[in-house]
Amino acid sequence: MSSQKKDEAKTIIEDVLEKPSSRRMFLKGASIAAAAGSAALAASYMSAADPASAGELKLRWQEYFKKNYRLMSQEEKDETVTRLERLAKFQDNMDVQIGTEPPTEKVLFGYAFNITRCEGFMECVTACVKENNLDRKTNTQYIRIFEMEPGQLDPSTGDGQYYHKVPVDDKFYMGVQCFHCENAPCIKACPTKATWKEPDGIVVVDYNWCIGCRYCQAACPYYGRRFNWGKGEVPKEEITTKQHYLGNRKRPMGKMEKCTFCIQRTRKGKLPACVEACPTGARVFGNLLDPDSEIRYVLKHKKVFRMKEEIGTQPKFWYFID
Amino acid sequence: MKTNSKFFILSIISVLLMFVLLRDGTVAVASEKSLLEEIKGINEPFDSRSVKQVRPVTQKTVLAKEEYQGGTFRVLARKHAIERYKCSSCHLDKPVLVTQGLELTHGNVIINHGRKGDELGCIDCHHPDDRNYLEGKKGRKVDFDHSYQLCGQCHFRQKRDWLGGAHGKRVSNWAGDRVVYNCASCHDPHSPRFEKRFPATYSVPLN
Repeated sequence: MSSQKKDEAKTIIEDVLEKPSSRRMFLKGASIAAAAGSAALAASYMSAADPASAGELKLRWQEYFKKNYRLMSQEEKDETVTRLERLAKFQDNMDVQIGTEPPTEKVLFGYAFNITRCEGFMECVTACVKENNLDRKTNTQYIRIFEMEPGQLDPSTGDGQYYHKVPVDDKFYMGVQCFHCENAPCIKACPTKATWKEPDGIVVVDYNWCIGCRYCQAACPYYGRRFNWGKGEVPKEEITTKQHYLGNRKRPMGKMEKCTFCIQRTRKGKLPACVEACPTGARVFGNLLDPDSEIRYVLKHKKVFRMKEEIGTQPKFWYFID
Repeated sequence: MKTNSKFFILSIISVLLMFVLLRDGTVAVASEKSLLEEIKGINEPFDSRSVKQVRPVTQKTVLAKEEYQGGTFRVLARKHAIERYKCSSCHLDKPVLVTQGLELTHGNVIINHGRKGDELGCIDCHHPDDRNYLEGKKGRKVDFDHSYQLCGQCHFRQKRDWLGGAHGKRVSNWAGDRVVYNCASCHDPHSPRFEKRFPATYSVPLN
């Protein structure tokens, strides 16, 4: 091991140790002390295998000790976001902006899907994949569109893998994604409290607290959750750089992910990517607590239903008929 | 005395138990129906300006001549998107005497609007004299930017839904000032139905 490498490792450890102390910090310190030798070793060992710079290693080290997003103060959120942005620069040479926009008061997001209007063009799916930086290798998609026989209202009877000219006469199309249930079974299933419902109704995942056990996937009655098997391979020029900590930021391998109603967009007043892309206007999105909103108009004036209503999950996603 | 107190304690326990059971039952029943009812019960107006960082729509818009449940709103402007507007640059008060003028200038217009075999003609919608305008069924001039006033004469259900928000959609934002797509932003007025085509992508089985 070169003396220069040793010095670098030493300064990293000193940096970390000099932070103010708390119980968490103490544990951190203890583990560092225990790992001091091995860390120095690791620094030299890892540099042989992967050419990570000392700065990057430091950031990665600090990332290990962050809290669950819900327990972070705004300061801590800002710190981790800065670290993640710098890591993106180090690792992929990407300039991303990761936001931590909080929910707005008196906002509860709701969604409606017009099964009379959807014609199965699937532009929503491509827009979603692009916006949320979904893995192109495994072809992960948050949205599924089913081609349905008339009279059927259960997507499991439909064809989710059609590829022919649409719309086919006498068929209709039904989109399925995360329904952001008020009473979400996935949240109860999570053993690490890595998934929860935000005050504006969006069910989110803290990708760093998720251990990838997939219990939530088993608990979801709507097949709304996706497991990421890979590192999330996205062509560099197609990466959406405006990101959110709970949304479309780069997910580590082996985590659960899902539709977040495009939290990075909707928290700033924009429509989700699927709504903006829909060529037929079958998708309606808005604030359920605003009596003048489009979504409230649909709920008031249209025949609406929700999928598997009887199981009491209270999805905030309604289907409606013209 | 002893049996009495035993009975007393038992009865208290059973009453408590009944209370707990009943309460649980009613809560479950109430929450099953409540979300929609709860939502419908909220009528406090919401100020969408309370959402920070809303960027105004960049496309050209005009103030709609009608109102929706939340007051005035804007629609996407149309005139600048029409290639041959202004029509009066050819259609003056003099008759157009170019040979094959109709085919040369409007040959790409294929009318597929109305019943098969009984399609609409040009002047069913276009003003016969002032070509810069459309003409309503009662003879009033309708601006191209406000074509919803014309379309809504037949498609009144769609127009009602469009005003409310169940047909068509907003541009870019759910918050901020309401801007919606105009009828002709999505539908070609000469052939309003969407053509059949291949979907943009395909799905693989779930993991």
